[in-house]
Amino acid sequence: MKNTYIPFQMKVKKIYMESPDRTLKTFDLSYINKEDKFDFLPGQFCEFSILGKGESPFGIASSPTEEDIIKFTVNRTGSVTNEIHYLQEDDIVGIRGPLGNWYPVEKFKGQDVVIIGGGFAFTTLRSLLIYMLDNRADYGKITVIYGARNPDLFIYKEEIKEWEKRDDLTLHLTIDNPVKGWDKLTGFVPTVTKEVSLDPTSWCVVCGPPIMIKYTLPVLTEIGFPDEKIYTSLERRMKCGIGKCGRCNIGSKYVCIDGPVFSYEEIKKIPEAL
Amino acid sequence: MIKVKKSEFNKFIENLQENYSVFAPVTDGKATAFKKIKSADDINNKVLNTKRSPKEIFFPQSEVLFQYTKEGMEVPKRDEKPFAIWGMRNCDTKSLLMLDKVFGEAHQMPKKDMYKDPYWKEKYDNCLVFNLACNEPLSTCFCNWFDGGPFDKTGSDIFVVETDENYIFEAVSDKGKKFLSDFKTAENASDKEIKKIEKLKETAESYLAEKEDISSLFFKTKEIWDEPIWDEIAAKCVNCGACAFVCPTCHCFDVSDEGKGNKGKRIRLWDSCMFAIFTKEASGHNPRSQSTQRVRQRVMHKYNYFMDNYDEHLCTGCGRCVVVCPVNLDIREVIKKIINY
Repeated sequence: MKNTYIPFQMKVKKIYMESPDRTLKTFDLSYINKEDKFDFLPGQFCEFSILGKGESPFGIASSPTEEDIIKFTVNRTGSVTNEIHYLQEDDIVGIRGPLGNWYPVEKFKGQDVVIIGGGFAFTTLRSLLIYMLDNRADYGKITVIYGARNPDLFIYKEEIKEWEKRDDLTLHLTIDNPVKGWDKLTGFVPTVTKEVSLDPTSWCVVCGPPIMIKYTLPVLTEIGFPDEKIYTSLERRMKCGIGKCGRCNIGSKYVCIDGPVFSYEEIKKIPEAL
Repeated sequence: MIKVKKSEFNKFIENLQENYSVFAPVTDGKATAFKKIKSADDINNKVLNTKRSPKEIFFPQSEVLFQYTKEGMEVPKRDEKPFAIWGMRNCDTKSLLMLDKVFGEAHQMPKKDMYKDPYWKEKYDNCLVFNLACNEPLSTCFCNWFDGGPFDKTGSDIFVVETDENYIFEAVSDKGKKFLSDFKTAENASDKEIKKIEKLKETAESYLAEKEDISSLFFKTKEIWDEPIWDEIAAKCVNCGACAFVCPTCHCFDVSDEGKGNKGKRIRLWDSCMFAIFTKEASGHNPRSQSTQRVRQRVMHKYNYFMDNYDEHLCTGCGRCVVVCPVNLDIREVIKKIINY
């Protein structure tokens, strides 16, 4: 019987510092054993562990189309993430996954997609975006709204520059308050979502801090997006990742197995989801 | 049905020990709990509800998931004999079926190996459960609310009734039938003794308080989710979590690492939704920061969410939480309050 509690080992291949305040780092992991290699889809997560220090869940930031690496972006905020930030290249870490469900990329085929993200929660949205760009012909118009508190706190800055150059992708970047030298949008994500004209026949994926999700979803309804075409990814404290340990439930749903991806239609039926 | 004379009981247990690790109620000081016995003399058949439930045989309060060294990870090896549990009551045998739903699969998920809990399954799948009938239920027992009863056999392999001189055995599951058919030295119970069981059953049932009709509980809990009744219910609760620790069906756990340098272990420990840090995320975000939200979570999980996923209430009416609650928050009163709201 497969023991899902036992992590397999991966090696830290590359580390990127994402923000000048040193709170955000991205880790590219490579497989040590070929048989550990797993298939996944954008939106799924893994439990990332450092033996002796503990385990934390993170959304997979790489796309399934990126061969041989698994990418995570980690905000330094607690004891495990602190230890993760101390990692050096070539260090060994433990991974369990892929866990949870995914954004419905099959349903998106041939359709327009809007991606709305906030802060360092852009991880699984990066996975989704790269996945769609790598299979560009399968999808219609792609629009991205990405907000951060200030210009320093965007993750994947180098890639954003590349995305800005593309003509098959509309990118709206916004920061909370005006900053000298910033020539893009200013304002919170819900406000910007209302201002840039979105086509409500598209599919929409929202991921960000809980407060951003809470205020962005009603705006989408206002614009005319039907609930079943809006998807979001929820965050809860997940320990086991397989629906046993009991702490990530919202109503009768467990974020680790029934989610983390839920449609707005589902969310409205679950008390306490937002 | 076969019988074992009380004078032969010790011998019966000794025989059982040859092929099984035997667990039974053992009184240590003032508290009784299910423990692995050394000899039949350790067993206390008089205590009805052990203070802590026998779930800890299969799902211990602290359990090593794996040990690690520089070389790799290893799952600790377990006692190779299967478990036999003597003296479980109906409220506890039923709880094992519920826990098996949680640990043996995942609700509405495809039946994949990844959702099976190997630590639970290796202990539970081969165990032999002896369910001892309750001749004198306690005032805190309310198993009849959940269609259980002092002589109900659900969840057991072998059902046992204690009479004046004998233990009368009845096979319930296939595993139980096999065990009894291999049990050569046993005598058959006489018709007179079998009739006596009916009498004992009637007496036992008369001890229980009147059955409450809880058919509306599932819908009612959903209906009142947003009502101020939860503040009333939670007002007394001190969030100590004692109810969850003695509960035979509560199964939430925490995972934690203990170690130094390259050596250590990952363990899982009982946890409870009553604690504020249970849901607290590293960012500081806490979906259930208020006591009311946590009390509601526990009640809802028992009488609504579990029903949603597994078609039954996550409660067997054992009454342990009623006994241990330091502020006398009686779950039976809570249920009545909800139904009549």
